[in-house]
Amino acid sequence: MSGKKDIRMIDIIERIGKTSINATRSFRDTLSFAFTIILKMFSKNSYSSATRMVLINQIYFTSVQILPLFIGISIILGSLLIGIVFQIIKTLGLAEYLGRILMGLVVTELSPFVTVLLIALRSSSAINAEIAVMKVNNELNTLDKFNIDVIDYLFLPRVINGVISVVLLSALFSILTLTSGLLFSKLMFGMSLDTYSNVLLNSANFYDIVISLVKCCTFGFFITLIPIRFGLHATNDLTSIPIAVLNGMVDVFIAIVLIEVLSLILSFI
Amino acid sequence: MDKELKDFAAKNKQNLGLVSLDVPLISNLNVWVNIALIKQYHQNLPDDKAELLVLQYLRVYGLEHIANKQTSALTNKERFFAMLIRAAMVMDSIIVIDRPFKIIPDVPDDRFIYNALNIIYDSFKECHIFDYTWFKDRYRMIYVEKG
Repeated sequence: MSGKKDIRMIDIIERIGKTSINATRSFRDTLSFAFTIILKMFSKNSYSSATRMVLINQIYFTSVQILPLFIGISIILGSLLIGIVFQIIKTLGLAEYLGRILMGLVVTELSPFVTVLLIALRSSSAINAEIAVMKVNNELNTLDKFNIDVIDYLFLPRVINGVISVVLLSALFSILTLTSGLLFSKLMFGMSLDTYSNVLLNSANFYDIVISLVKCCTFGFFITLIPIRFGLHATNDLTSIPIAVLNGMVDVFIAIVLIEVLSLILSFI
Repeated sequence: MDKELKDFAAKNKQNLGLVSLDVPLISNLNVWVNIALIKQYHQNLPDDKAELLVLQYLRVYGLEHIANKQTSALTNKERFFAMLIRAAMVMDSIIVIDRPFKIIPDVPDDRFIYNALNIIYDSFKECHIFDYTWFKDRYRMIYVEKG
């Protein structure tokens, strides 16, 4: 009886060990891949007319095509959140901290988070599937046979697009949410446009903007890099595509949470 | 045959213009982008000039209309021409056609291939065809003489 229990215990420990080793390996491989991409990013030789064309197309697909949906969601979600925040501020009598709360919450926390979630849902999954399909169809072999570096041509434009798109769309989300805040400030506190703008401008902190920018860049970098890496895990079977997408997207969400937590810790230091 | 082809491809890697079903057109790009990609990447040719060049090539085959088509919408012959032009885009191209009758199974003999090569004879340095020996009856020519 006790022998059986011991075997089961060993089995569980082995499984935990295996999972931990796999997770550590995956984390190490992602960082090593990120390092390769960063090196390529700063190399002049990585940029050709073909790379630029892919980059422009990617920015169009990620940042421009999503605009109507993104603006709609930003206005609805932004207004809702701002309404709740204003209600809490009024209830707790924190009107004097209005600007600080808005800048700290909307610009550094909400905007990057909502933006990265929307882009991850739409573009990360698309990139993951696209790379997996290219792998299954032998199209990566085509690029190799024509001496085209897949990192330069395929991966780099997608990662740069991720960074640019998250930064731009996050800024747009902030602007739309803060604008909707104008309406609530008028309704709840009777603030005029001038007063509201002054409150925001006086509370704008360079440090907040830098944190927000760094966070957006990190989000954008990893939500495109991880799907690419998992897309490459696909084998020659069509059935490997959904598995690659599923694993990739799970890791994208883990990365988003990790970056969010890390940025919070950093902001407290 | 596979080993011979691999050895040949490895020896001429820099100038290799491969026409093969194992080296397919990229499915999320349309025909002209698939072809222009080679010049854009290796010679940094601006996209408008690359597009014009590709259209010129497609025009000589009377295939200008396929320029904006997705690769999945191509017929076997159109796919073969697109692959051939892409191979010709490589600088000092050594075109290697790997089992052509697998790409264009409805073609009875090599006349179609010969004519296709003849039209763009000044765009490549050499052309080699690799195929199974049991297909040798479908070939009239031994090699394509240039000029």
